[in-house]
Amino acid sequence: MSGPAVGGAARYAGTRVHRVEDTRLLTGTGTFADDVTRAGLLHAFFVRSPHARAAILSVDATEALALPGVIAVFTAADLNGDIREQWYTIDGPDIPDTPRPPLADGMVRYVGDPVALVVAEDRYIAEDAAELVMVDYDPLDPVVDYATARESEVLVHDAYPGNVAGEIPGAPFETLDEVCDGAAHVLTETIREQGQAAVPMEGRGLTAEWSGGELTLWSASQAPHEVRLFASRLLGVPEHKVRTITRDVGGGFGQKVVPQREEMCVLLAVRKVPGPLKWTEDRQENLLSAGQARHEHGDVRMAFADDGTMLATSIDHTDDVGSYPTPWPVGPGIAVGMMFPGPYRVAAGTFKHTSMFSNTVGRTAYRGPWAFETLARELCLDIAARRMGIDPAELRRRNILRRDEMPYSNPVGMPYDHMSPNETFEQALSILGYEEFRKEQAAARAEGRYLGVGISTYVEPTASAMPYYGSEGATIRVEPSGKINVYMAGGSTGNSLETTAVMLTADALGARIEDVSTIQGDTAVTPFGPGTGGSRSGPMIAGAVGETASILRERLLAIAAGKLEADVADVELSESSASVKGDPDASVTFAEIANLAYFQPAALPPGVPAGLEASARYAAQAMMLWANATHVCTCEVDTVTGAVKLLRYIVSEDCGPMINPNLVEGQIAGGVVQGIGGALMEHLAYDEDGNPVSTTFMDYMLPTSTEVPVIEYGHVETPGPNPGGYKGVGEGGAIGAPAAVANAVADALSPFGVTVTQLPLTPDAIVGLISSAGGAS
Amino acid sequence: MKPTAFDYHAPASPEEAVSLLGSLGDGAKIIAGGQSLTPMLALRLAVFEHLVDIRRIESLRGVSRSNGTVRVGAGTTEAAVGRSDVVAADVPLLARATPFIGHLAIRNRGTIGGCVAHADAAAEYPAVALALDATIETLSPRGTRSIPAAEFFTGIWSTALEPDELITALEFGVWSGRTGFAVEEFAVRSGDFAIAGATVAVELSSSGSVDRCAIGLFGLGPTAVRATAAEESAAGTAVPDLNPDEIGQAALAGQDVPSDSHGSAAYRTRVGAAMVATAWRRAVKEASGE
Repeated sequence: MSGPAVGGAARYAGTRVHRVEDTRLLTGTGTFADDVTRAGLLHAFFVRSPHARAAILSVDATEALALPGVIAVFTAADLNGDIREQWYTIDGPDIPDTPRPPLADGMVRYVGDPVALVVAEDRYIAEDAAELVMVDYDPLDPVVDYATARESEVLVHDAYPGNVAGEIPGAPFETLDEVCDGAAHVLTETIREQGQAAVPMEGRGLTAEWSGGELTLWSASQAPHEVRLFASRLLGVPEHKVRTITRDVGGGFGQKVVPQREEMCVLLAVRKVPGPLKWTEDRQENLLSAGQARHEHGDVRMAFADDGTMLATSIDHTDDVGSYPTPWPVGPGIAVGMMFPGPYRVAAGTFKHTSMFSNTVGRTAYRGPWAFETLARELCLDIAARRMGIDPAELRRRNILRRDEMPYSNPVGMPYDHMSPNETFEQALSILGYEEFRKEQAAARAEGRYLGVGISTYVEPTASAMPYYGSEGATIRVEPSGKINVYMAGGSTGNSLETTAVMLTADALGARIEDVSTIQGDTAVTPFGPGTGGSRSGPMIAGAVGETASILRERLLAIAAGKLEADVADVELSESSASVKGDPDASVTFAEIANLAYFQPAALPPGVPAGLEASARYAAQAMMLWANATHVCTCEVDTVTGAVKLLRYIVSEDCGPMINPNLVEGQIAGGVVQGIGGALMEHLAYDEDGNPVSTTFMDYMLPTSTEVPVIEYGHVETPGPNPGGYKGVGEGGAIGAPAAVANAVADALSPFGVTVTQLPLTPDAIVGLISSAGGAS
Repeated sequence: MKPTAFDYHAPASPEEAVSLLGSLGDGAKIIAGGQSLTPMLALRLAVFEHLVDIRRIESLRGVSRSNGTVRVGAGTTEAAVGRSDVVAADVPLLARATPFIGHLAIRNRGTIGGCVAHADAAAEYPAVALALDATIETLSPRGTRSIPAAEFFTGIWSTALEPDELITALEFGVWSGRTGFAVEEFAVRSGDFAIAGATVAVELSSSGSVDRCAIGLFGLGPTAVRATAAEESAAGTAVPDLNPDEIGQAALAGQDVPSDSHGSAAYRTRVGAAMVATAWRRAVKEASGE
């Protein structure tokens, strides 16, 4: 199915065009942060705290500095004072941001806290020297458990009483008492999710070069322009004297939306050392220090009428923001409460959000940072359905919003529109064959085999128009040869932004796709853009390309009309040529048009400027673009070992018309796999002393291809109120998956009377659930 | 994740290798496939001044059969063990354990000698060696030794090897008659170290009673272990009189089962018993010719 074109006849949009990035990536010729080499390059490595909480009594680098090849050892006293301004553009300078010193100053607050920065001639020497830096610690009791941190006498940061990083209440919970008191069924449950990490294939990385008052940065980032802006402010170097170059980035998932403390250290140190400075995060550092997510819980209340009609929902949500969350965690936390009513017709609702500090690694964004709302709601719906004796699918069917009910305001004020929860729900169940599965399940149970089906539906605000994310620019240049380059901010971390820009530009100009290329990620030549985040890139690229291409189309048509002696209205652009409608022989190629535009300006029609280059900027036309999806998962649980085998996994999604179904499905698949990992095995865990226990891939268990079934896709296309109608799809897979998997396990174990309220559902945990439920009924 | 500096040695013979070990002292370590040692070096969990790489020593590789035993050179890769017709025919338990070791890329480099020398409690080959009463042949500057598997694994990641001693081969007795062999392993993901695993070998008499049996456990103690009490209670009994689930329970009784983030001791014990029971059923079924 093809979507509406942006400014021209659709030819590529809607089709499964192969990715233009793939040739270099699949042949191993991509350029990632660690591939950057510079003459005289120096290497950075961090001395990190082995304690969850300790006072730093002294740091002695004498022995380290004596090691041949060591250039410098920096501590907080050397670097932290050089900061001019430290704030992220996404938040602005005026929010009540949480502390974020580059190096630990006086106190360490988690295991992995960077204490000193070693600079040496190579990485091996830097790591050797780091072992020689003598740090004298006075270990102190840590606050490891965020859930009890409010009662702790120990404070992670002295300025935050009760370890509360921030609280945002909605209407008081008591406002729902009346409707709950009168309801036939009221469910209260606490749902808990474990800490997880984004785990990009490529860790963080930054090479900085300070030369002649100019700073050049090669950064593994989702937002090259933000790296530039942030560095400019941090160091007091004017923005136009900073250049960030980002070619290929091996995954970000939110972890790379802004520079963190280690990157600040490299920026602050580079002017003090005699050469360019590189830091490449290794896997252990990434699992130790790049950030945690998803460690949170919610006290849920849901009221239902006798027939299962949802009357009210509320969630009292608390998350673990660790010691140094990045960026400010409190504001985004509100999204859990705002989205908690989900895709359902529910009249009353409220929420509260609390962010709690702990002596663990700081919270960072992770694909669908508010996804807990879906986990909590969808688990509770299944629990409620079982208690009411209603099939979980039927309970949802009675409450789910239909496309023809849009626009619809949820009870906490989210303005849903242009979406189709019921339609994806029915499509996903139909792909599965829900009734047939129930029969198969019954037959299996008769043989002592435990199959289950889990459903998860959600709605998702994408491509937000909030100030930082609300606009995107594109420059398009038809070169003198007629070849076309589109320049965009980029920030692709594997999410196919190059293919997207090339397809849309080819369509908008009537060019052959092989004539279009794109340059992204270099702030020296690309327009400002905030990078990837908030499932914004597809719709915003479409908008920006459309705005810019419309200027060039007009110019191409005017020059062609002059050359062909035709009326502009009779000229059309196709196959990198302009021709007169109905007269294919009357044609002029883009190369010929470009030749006129660049080299024979005097021959151009009156009023047409020389050259074929344009820049324009698209501003989002809606506060957000609403996407939605339903995930359905089936599984078999081995009740002896607790092993979960996923049988089928179905996603029916509505991200509007698809620019490229391959890319949409790839985004969904990646997110689903992360969600499966979160449901069943991933756990960024700490012991009770605050020691991390999952800093290698032996212990931080990611799902592999043998644990993931073939993912089946269904598509519903409800256009958004924006050019092309394209909506975002980057995060949804990760939002929907955990609840679908957990509900499938809960359904499989329903004969045992098991209630699932906590992830991960490891084999050990599943056996525990069965044992504590007391056996099959 | 960069190792400390080390000197690299590539001896051409086992004798040269142990001579190096002898002269270099405690700071030297044999590296074969490097599938465990390399990450430990990178994480600086292990620090050695000298690595003695035995991968180029041809005489340490290969599988041969003579006089009722199968000899597997210590440098034989796990993948080569898995491909060996001799192993498949005469030491089926070894062949059947092999696919559970990591992934193919790991088996292409990892060696049987390295696996046994590393002695991870959750690894498969030590449990096979124990179950089959394999002999571990070694060489040191003082000459050769033959160490029974039962005396080889002494504790967590520790063995009877001296610092200057190199494993040269493993020798397995060939079981004949009405025999059956099975390996069962439970891991969360394909290729992971076992949460619990069992190797079972049985030989039945013509009348259908258990002539001899061996049960090796892995992931269920500080080292791979034999479940000798369970074996003894099964020996001599007619197969129909034996309850595999009870054999599983008996095999786990009294074991020093570890707890970690992947599973508590109670959980591992439960799964271990189930692995033994399933492996027992399969081995007996094979021995019975069914």
